[in-house]
Order: sequence, then C-alpha cells, then structure tokens
Amino acid sequence: MGLEPKSAGPRSAQSAGFRLRAGHARGAVVGARVAAKQVLELKLEVDLDEPEPGQFVMLWVPGVGEVPMSIADYDGGVLTMYITRRGRVTGYLHDHVREGVRLFVRGPYGRGFSAIERGRALLVGGGTGAAPLHFLAKRLRERGVDCVAALGFRSAEHAILLGEMARLCRVEVATDDGSMGFGGPVHEVAAKLLSEERFDAVYACGPEPMIAAVLELARSKGVPFEASLERYMRCAVGVCGSCVLEPLGLRVCRDGPVFSGEVLSRVEDLGRWWRDADGRLVPLR
Amino acid sequence: MPRLEVELAGLRLRNPTVLASGVLGLSAGLAKRVEEAGAGAFTTKTVTREPRRGYPNPTFVVLEHGYLNAVGLANPGIDYFCRELREMRQRLSIPIILSAGGGSAEELVEVAKRGVECGAQAVELNVSCPHVSGMGVELGHRAEEVASAVGEIKRLGVPVFVKLSVHHDYIRLAEACLDAGASGFTAINTVRGMAIDIYARKPVLSNVYGGYSGRAIKPIAVRVVYELYEAFPDAPIIGVGGVDGWEAALEFILAGASAVGVGSEIARKDLGLFKEILEGLEEYMEREGFNSIEELVGLAHRS
Ligand SMILES: Cc1cc2nc3c(=O)[nH]c(=O)nc-3n(C[C@H](O)[C@H](O)[C@H](O)COP(=O)(O)OP(=O)(O)OC[C@H]3O[C@@H](n4cnc5c(N)ncnc54)[C@H](O)[C@@H]3O)c2cc1C
Ligand SMILES: Cc1cc2nc3c(=O)[nH]c(=O)nc-3n(C[C@H](O)[C@H](O)[C@H](O)COP(=O)(O)O)c2cc1C
Repeated sequence: MGLEPKSAGPRSAQSAGFRLRAGHARGAVVGARVAAKQVLELKLEVDLDEPEPGQFVMLWVPGVGEVPMSIADYDGGVLTMYITRRGRVTGYLHDHVREGVRLFVRGPYGRGFSAIERGRALLVGGGTGAAPLHFLAKRLRERGVDCVAALGFRSAEHAILLGEMARLCRVEVATDDGSMGFGGPVHEVAAKLLSEERFDAVYACGPEPMIAAVLELARSKGVPFEASLERYMRCAVGVCGSCVLEPLGLRVCRDGPVFSGEVLSRVEDLGRWWRDADGRLVPLR
Repeated sequence: MPRLEVELAGLRLRNPTVLASGVLGLSAGLAKRVEEAGAGAFTTKTVTREPRRGYPNPTFVVLEHGYLNAVGLANPGIDYFCRELREMRQRLSIPIILSAGGGSAEELVEVAKRGVECGAQAVELNVSCPHVSGMGVELGHRAEEVASAVGEIKRLGVPVFVKLSVHHDYIRLAEACLDAGASGFTAINTVRGMAIDIYARKPVLSNVYGGYSGRAIKPIAVRVVYELYEAFPDAPIIGVGGVDGWEAALEFILAGASAVGVGSEIARKDLGLFKEILEGLEEYMEREGFNSIEELVGLAHRS
C-alpha cells in the first residue's frame, strides 16, 4: 500500500464534498496544565467533525488572536493540544487560560497521515512535533501496527507525552543536552533504528532540519515517509495562498500539512525557507 | 465542439475563467497549478509599492453562505514580487494580470510600471478593497484620480482593467476611467461586512470589518455586471462574485461578462472548480446550440 495515495501532492487535490462548517465551534477548557518547560497541555471540550491524525485546527482566543495547532488527541469530545510558548497568542494561552475558560476552534483542516494497515512504523518527533504523532500512534495501535517512537527534546525538562507514547509504542528519547536518553539530535536515533530494524513506514514532525535528515534516511532505506510541516497560515482552507511551498505550489493548510517523502524531496523550501506574513521568503530559523 | 476561447481587451484566453485577485495569487508554483487546473488567465494578489504584513488573525472565516476576509492586502511589495512575476511568465502560458494597489494614483502607476517591466501582460487596478483605509474603496471614490492613473498606465501598452465595488458610484467611476482609456472592468470586489460570534460576543475578524465573498454575493455581482454592460456595451467585463460552478459562470456571461473570475468558492471545491466550470460550459453550449462563448456574452440583454 505505501503512503502515497492520500498525499501524493498537487494532482490528488480534494474536490467536491469538502465539508466546511460555518464560524468557530465553542469549547470549554477542561484541562490546562504545564506539561513541560514552556509547553502547555490544553484540553478543550468541543464538538468537531471527527479529525484524522495529522490534521490541525485554528484556535481562536477572542480579542487576542488565532493560531494553527496540531491535534494531539480527540477523544470523547475532548480535544488535546500541546502549545509551546512563542509570542502573543501562545503567550496569552500560557499566562491566562485556565479551566472553565471558553475558547473557539475551526477545523479540523488539512490532510493527515495515511496510517499503514499492518507492519511496523517508526515515528520521529522533535519538541511539540510529538503532539500529532501521539494521535497517529493511537490510530496505528488500533490497527495493530507496531510502533517505535524516537522523540527528541532540548532537555529532560522539555519532554512531553513520554508516558502516553510509552503506552502505545516503544519509546527512545534524545535530548540536546543529554539530560535524558541519547545526547544528541533525534535523527541520529532514527538512523540507528533504521539501520538495525525493519520498518514499513516512517512518520516525522518537528523542526525542518530534522525532517529533512529523516527524509534522507528513509529514502536511502527505501521506506515510505510522511512528515507534517508548518507555515504561516491565514485562511486554513486553501484560498489565501499564504502557506505555499515552492516550487510545487503546495498549500500546507490544504494539500498538507502532511506530505509524502516523494513530494517533500521536490520541495526546495524544505529546511531552507519560511514564507513570512508579507509573502517574502526568509531563511528558516 | 463548441469553442471556449474568448478575447478580452486584446488578450487571448483559452477559456473565460480567470483566477480572481487575492486568491492563491503570490506564488509562481501556485500560478502554475492554477493554469494546470484549467484557468484561462491568472490575476495576482494585489501588490503595493511597499511590503505589507496585513492584519493579525483571524483574517478569514467561513460563514453559512459565503466567506468573510480581512487579510489587509498583505503582499511582498512590487520590488520583491518582480522576481515572482518573471518566474510566472517563464512557467505559464496563460495571460498574467497584475493587480496593482496603492493609496494614490502615483503609487498605482509606479506599481503597474514595474509590474509590466517584470512581465505582467495586463493590469487590474484594485480601487475597491473594502477593508484597508487609504487604499481600495477610498481611492475608488476619487474617480478623477483613478482616471488619471488609468491614463498613465495605458501608455505602458497593456490592457488596463479597473476593479469596481458596490461601495462607490461605479457607473460614474467606470465612465471616467473609460474616458481615460480603460480597457475594461472587473466587477465586483468583496462587499463590506462583518461577523460577530454570539458566544464570544465579539467580532470575529481582528479588523472587525472585512470583505464578504462567495455564493451569497453572486446576485449583487450579476446585477453590477448587467448594469455595466447596459451602460458600456463595448467595454469588456470580468464578472466576479460567488462563482461556484458553470451555472454561475453562465449567469455572468449572459449578464455581459466576457470572462468570469473564480475566487473564494475554491475553499469548497478546490482547484477542480475550474474543470467543473469548463466541462459544464461546453456541455451547455452543445446542448443549447451555441458555438462560441462570444455568442452568449450579454445575451440576457437582447430580446
Ligand atoms: C499546521 C500547524 C500546526 C501547528 N501545531 C502546533 C502545535 O501542536 N504546538 C505548538 O506549540 N505550535 C504549533 N504550531 C505553531 C503555532 O501555530 C505558532 O507557534 C503560533 O502561531 C505562534 O503564535 P504567537 O502569536 O504565539 O506568536 P507570534 O509572535 O505571532 O509568532 C511567533 C512565530 O510563530 C510562527 N507563527 C505565527 N503565526 C503563525 C501562523 N498564523 N501560522 C503559522 N505559524 C505562525 C512564526 O514562525 C512566528 O515567527 C503549528 C503551526 C501549524 C502551521
Ligand atoms: C482571501 C481573499 C483575498 C482577496 N484579496 C484581494 C486582493 O488582494 N485584491 C482584490 O482586488 N480582490 C481581492 N479579493 C476579492 C476577490 O478577488 C473577489 O473580487 C471577491 O472575493 C468576490 O469573488 P468570489 O465570491 O468568487 O470570492 C480577495 C478575496 C478573498 C476571499
């Protein structure tokens, strides 16, 4: 089967039948806790169309702003997100959002991961990139697919989802400062796993240099690959063009955020260029 | 086989569909995909002299019968965009229409001039964006100033379209622009609107006001096209507003549009919308006995 059908790229664009709900769905915060250094775990009771692993939502804080967020879980009507403090909106969420607060969501949007039906999967995450991989791991386990998760963080203090992931997959940790697990980049853990074990699919989410490195590894082993990317987004439904990747003209919000390795190997922006709010390309930091 | 080709102010279009401005319009890669999807011409997002970051999110929301946006004319500025235009010209064979924006006639002319140098084959003046103060609709109220820009841009030797809004006296503006040498019109831009979330009890858009688009504005847009055609039967019109299929495209053509803009309904149908329109037009023409689109343009006016 491989990973191609769902995210083969431009040609497989969604056509008729794309359901769009009007406005935002309102949700009540039923959990807001610091999950790790600079990471807020937010649980929102909200009525959404059933999301696929890898899809995202636009989270609106009235009077503050709206940001794209990956879905770490959606279970029993509760949406879980892991939010790193970055700037205005994420900072506000960290500082002011407590249980009982009302927040608003539109989505789910985008194309998610195509979970394999059988075999073994390797999941490679960096930082809050672990969030969508958690939702994917749940789906894989439901199907009886074995998984190994290699999760990288800056330090032990920054680690999230280790317990939850350990219930679903075998977990290998890497930290930049060596305070937990392997001391070094997580793609080195992935390299070792890929050389010692057999996998039928590799999924990645996290910083783009890591994604680019794991893409190379998967390609050299001939293992189907998918990764989830981020770009500056506005409409989130594929019309404004803000989040486009060149030279293929792929909209991260609609054609992605998950793309196949085959597509990503032709994306020149990967790991190099970020498209700013004004549409100019700036080096990816 | 009926012919879908149309002539639009000297531009040859393989079919009457045009990508509307502001939708997927800043990247050569996306422009290529729009061409591959079947579009007859491509309009860029509105470009200004200086880069603009636009408004903070929320800038877009799906509503029951349409869409509301206040992106705020975010664009990289004409100097940066020049590179993209050159690449578009290299990779595309359909005509590229540069949408030029600005706060004055002088800025419109400067942007248009640079854009044509960089490969744009036509210019559309956005004097109708409803949510950026000092640009768009406000400029459109000053018919003489817009007309003077038209006159100067006309000298660049490419067709000049003026994009109209229901928020100004579009017949008077159209007349002033035609006198100054405008090649035709694009009608309409979004309609000023807003949305309030009843549980947040706040406006949804960060900018409060935005532009309403999509299916709901189609009857308004068809009316404006009909009026323009009646007033100026020789001026070609690109009809825009809520085109979500071939039937809507035909309505615009029958009202007097030579070409039809496709915009925010791409949110529902994605790029497949172009093909859907083209196949529908062809079938309709075959069934109803028309050989060319041109036979249908403005037909609703004749008895
Ligand atoms: C599909 C997708 C999924 C994401 N999932 C997660 C997640 O699970 N957890 C998480 O912590 N973060 C996630 N992000 C990133 C998150 O959206 C940004 O960190 C957030 O928008 C920052 O907003 P701010 O106001 O706090 O910061 P700002 O000060 O506004 O910006 C800080 C930086 O965040 C990025 N950013 C800002 N606005 C946007 C935007 N509208 N779209 C994309 N990037 C933006 C830019 O790099 C910017 O420089 C995701 C982004 C995308 C596109
Ligand atoms: C997200 C978005 C951005 C737009 N940006 C521009 C723009 O930059 N310049 C412009 O002239 N029109 C802009 N428009 C207006 C469209 O070109 C079009 O006139 C309007 O949306 C009506 O057509 P529609 O109903 O098919 O979308 C924008 C519309 C949308 C939805």
